[in-house]
Formats: sequence, structure tokens, C-alpha cells
Amino acid sequence: MSNLLQEIESKISGAQTSVAKQNVGIVREIGDGVAKIEGLTDAMLNEMLDFGNGVTGLALNLEETEVGAVILGDYTGIKEGQEVRTTGKLLSVPVGKGLLGRVVNTLGLPLDGKGPIKSDVSYPVEKIAPGIIKRKSVGQPLQTGIMAVDAMIPIGRGQRELIIGDRSTGKTTIGIDTIISQAVQNRAAEAAKDTSYRPVYSIYVAVGQKQSNIARVIAVLEEAGAMPYTIIVSASASDSATNQYLAPFAGCSMGEWFMDNGMDALIIYDDLSKHAVAYRQVSLVLKRPSGREAYPGDVFYLHSRLLERSARVNEKYGNGSLTALPIIETQMGDVSAYIPTNVISITDGQIYLETDLFYQGVRPAVSVGLSVSRVGSAAQIKAMKQVAGRIKLDLAQFRELAAFAQFGSDLDAATQAKIERGKRVVEIFKQPQFSPLLVEVQSVILWAAQNGYFDDVAVEKVKDFQKKLVDYLTNRKADLMGRLSKEKAFSDAIAGDFKSAIAEFKQTYK
Amino acid sequence: MSKQAKRDAKSLFRNCQINGILDEKRVLQTVDEVLKRKPRGFGAILSHFQRLIKLDEAARTAKIESATALTPDLQNNYKEILTKRYGQGLYFIFQENPGLLGGVRVQVGSDVFDGTVRARLNELNESFKAA
Repeated sequence: MSNLLQEIESKISGAQTSVAKQNVGIVREIGDGVAKIEGLTDAMLNEMLDFGNGVTGLALNLEETEVGAVILGDYTGIKEGQEVRTTGKLLSVPVGKGLLGRVVNTLGLPLDGKGPIKSDVSYPVEKIAPGIIKRKSVGQPLQTGIMAVDAMIPIGRGQRELIIGDRSTGKTTIGIDTIISQAVQNRAAEAAKDTSYRPVYSIYVAVGQKQSNIARVIAVLEEAGAMPYTIIVSASASDSATNQYLAPFAGCSMGEWFMDNGMDALIIYDDLSKHAVAYRQVSLVLKRPSGREAYPGDVFYLHSRLLERSARVNEKYGNGSLTALPIIETQMGDVSAYIPTNVISITDGQIYLETDLFYQGVRPAVSVGLSVSRVGSAAQIKAMKQVAGRIKLDLAQFRELAAFAQFGSDLDAATQAKIERGKRVVEIFKQPQFSPLLVEVQSVILWAAQNGYFDDVAVEKVKDFQKKLVDYLTNRKADLMGRLSKEKAFSDAIAGDFKSAIAEFKQTYK
Repeated sequence: MSKQAKRDAKSLFRNCQINGILDEKRVLQTVDEVLKRKPRGFGAILSHFQRLIKLDEAARTAKIESATALTPDLQNNYKEILTKRYGQGLYFIFQENPGLLGGVRVQVGSDVFDGTVRARLNELNESFKAA
């Protein structure tokens, strides 16, 4: 016994205690979620600061005699003269597959009451985008399931495609449809045990949205069974401007983890207009110099560094991708405003939604003339290329001719035919929300339209004809659809079989 | 406070330094001279000047707190170690603080070396809260 006591005594006397150096400062000013701190001479930019009692801040302004920090949480308990410490850590969020199916806040903390997030990896919120060496060209399609988009404005994995339009024109719906489409394809590939298919995981970042809207989005995704493949990052209108400013970066880090690990991810920023407003607020309370429309000078860099993080990396670096669909809300259709022009110039194209089309019943209200995809056509499958090649031009011509035809009724047969075909194509592109179509189905419908099978169908019956044709082909001609899905092109043999199948259907269609 | 006042105060502050160390005589002379000449915005200039002096003083003050009074030998030991680390020109303040329970807390500018029992107990408390 005495030996044991001696042993413990010798161990205690031999124990070394080390004292770590800490860097501290004193709060000089606090207000609007921003603190001015004296001291903190070793603070790094974007370093997390410990205010005590579990409150953290982020060092954003490193000045000669003080540090400007934004508080990430409840700042009402912070007092002047309080001690603040540096942590030596940059702001990080948990990443990984454990986040799938979860609703989290800007710091990656759960908001859905489903318990703690299972993740042992974290990524810094601010990260340098992949460089030139790591990247490769966009070459694989990302099917949104929306025919108007997949046919005319195709999106590739790793692309940044802006969704722009006025309020209530269906911007969020396009994003949600795309998420649902990915889930449908992921599930189909899982069911078919198709190992060649690369699943796409989605991240939806809600910035400055109403909580009711976010709740509705979650409900839609849950109903469509898309949540197991989706992460929702919520920084609603009631969150602080700091949280709203950081949310897209946090979501991007979560998406980057998939890209870095050789997987494909899709991120939707809903929306970057409100994000710019939140950043303006943070900048103004930090007393940064303001520029045009009171936005700070680095508002372009804010969005460019965020969107540059979306990329397609080459095989050497894992072959992963991060596709970004940022959303911008315009005022009265003004795309030449400050933030819209910034984001248009950063992205690889835009889907422009028009209010007029929306109220005419053309939904999705995609404006064919103003929408463009600069890199996506390289990622279209051959079958879609074969049928959709001329459709954008035809539709643009139809809009012009239809406007011209309003002034007179004497039109030559060719013009008349073009207008009639155009009317039917417009009908074909109408699609209800949250019901994405598979790319094979889209290709067949467009192939049928291109080959005149819709020409003798009355305009008001086009949707009914389309629905029944799709039902007929998927149920009665499943093997033919399977061949198209496998070959991904309209070979002469497949085209011949479709001709006879559609002719057979037309005989029975009433 | 205008930017010009801040710039002027900064310039006066620099002129009061000899080899990077603030000269008290020059500081007092400067304050007297400014009050005598009363340039435009002299109040703001002097107020910012005072703040710069305060920050400089804080950066060069070594505050050594301990639960019980330190012996002169130990005090000299601390002075030697800190001068070696931070260079000449440090002001030393030795304080007794029974609230620390044991150990020593040294603060030089915004650097803190906290080896007190109180700090360890606080750390333990925080770790329980986090768990």
C-alpha cells in the first residue's frame, strides 16, 4: 500500500503543466451585432473569436488599433470591457454525408430537431477555389427534368447557371424541380443497380427567405422523397445579417466536400440579391466605405469568389463536380441593375424568367431569347442534341412571326406552318411544377414534335396528347424506351421503331 | 473624429518615439505645444493622441498577477524572462489577486500566459458545458 502511495506521489511531483499563450482583447464598442475590440494583435482575418459563454465572433476588419468582429449568435449579453480571445481557428462547418436529409443553420448546427449531426470532418467556410490545373471542361449533363431547360439551355455538371427573374416568376421552383429530378434519377439508378451512374447530391441554401417559404420547400422535398439526397442550409429573414452573409459560403463548403471526394453535387443559392443586401448591411455597420447603391466595393468579389468554387475537377483530383444555380431577383425586369449584371458576368449563362409569359400561362416562364447556356451544350446527350438543335431557333422565329402575323391574316403556307408548329412547341414546353421528366421522355416528345406528329393535334389538346403518348410509350413500348436510354441517340433503327409506335398510338388516340 | 485629426495625432505620436520607444518628455512637450498653438480640431487630435499613448502603454505593460505576493527574486526572474522575450522598455506591475487561487497570470499587451488554478477551473467548467 505504501508503495502505491509513493508511486502516486512521484507521479504527481513529476507531472508537468504547460501554459499556452493566448491573445486577448477588450470589447470597446458593441452594437448591431458588430463589436470593436482593442488588442487582439495576433487575430487573423476570418478567425473565430471567443466572447465567452459560448458566443463566437468572426474577425472581419483588422485595423491598426482595433479589430472589427461580427457576432455569430446572441450579442445582447456582450458588454463593453469584456475579454475576447482568439481561437486560432477559421470559421468552419461540418461536412460529409451525415448532413444529407438535414436542415442546418449557417454554422452547420441542426434546426430540424433530429439530433446532432454525425460528422467528424469540417471545412473552412472561406476556401480558395480549385485552380486551373485541377479543373476540366464541363462534359456531363445535369438533367433538371424541365424540358424547356434541358432542351434549350442545357446545364452541365460543374457549370454555374444563373436563374434570374422578377418576384413570383418561378425561380425557386426551377431550383426545387432540379433537386427533385436529381433524387428521381439517383433512386432510379439505385433501383437498377446502375454503377455507372454518378448520383448528384443537392444543397439548397435559403438566404433571407421567409421561414414559411423554407418550410414549404422542405415539405415539397420531403413529399417528393428528395430529402435523403439533400442538405438545406437555412439563414432566414429573421437570422442576423452575418448569418445570411455566411450561409452561401457554408453551403458551398458542404458541396465542396462531395466534389473533393469524387462525387457530384448541386448547390442552389436562393437568392444572391438578398445575400448582397445582407453583406451591404454587415459592411455598413463595420463602417467599410460604400460605393454604388451603398454596396461595398468588394461586392463583386463576394459573389465571384463564391461562384468560382463551383467547378468540374479532372480525374487526377477525383473527377468530382459542384454545379451552382444561383438565383437573382430583379426589380421590374431590370437585368441591368448592379447585382444582376455582376452575377450575369460571373456565371456561365442564365435562365431568364419573364413575368408576362408567367401570366400568359407559359410555365416555366423561360424567355428563350434572353436565356443562354455558354458551356452546357457540350454536356447534352446525343439524342437531345439531335432533336433540340433547331428548337431554340424555331421558337425564337415563331415568337417573331406570331407578333408579325397579328397585323395581317394573309400568310404564305410555310409561315402558317411555322406558326402552327410554334404554338404546339410552346404547349409542349409547358410543364407543371415538381414533376420532372426523364431525358429519354423529353427527347421522344421533342422528336415527335420535330417530325410533325403533333401538327394535326389541336393546340388545346397538345398536353393531353403528350401525356397519353408518354403513358403509351413508357407502358407499352418500355423496351423501345430502354433501347433509347441505353444508346442515348436516335439511330435509324430506333427512329423507325418510334415512327411505327407513334403511328400506332395515333390510330387509337381520341 | 475626422480622418485628418487621426492622421495628425498619428504623426505627432510617431515624432514622440525614439528608436520605437515612446519618450515621455517629448509627449508632454507635444501636448503643451498643441495646447499653446491650438490648431484646427486640436481637441480631437489630442484625444486620439491620448488613445494612441494609452494603447502603446498597454502594449508595453507587463502585468504579473499571483495569488500570493512574489518574492523579489521571483519578480526579478520574471522581469528578466519577459525583457528577453519582448525587449527593453517594459513597465512591470506586480499584483496580488487571491481570486486566482494559485499560479501566475502574465499579460503583456494582448498576450496572456495564464497558469492560474482559476483559469484551469474555468476551462474545466467550459468543457463540461460543451459536453
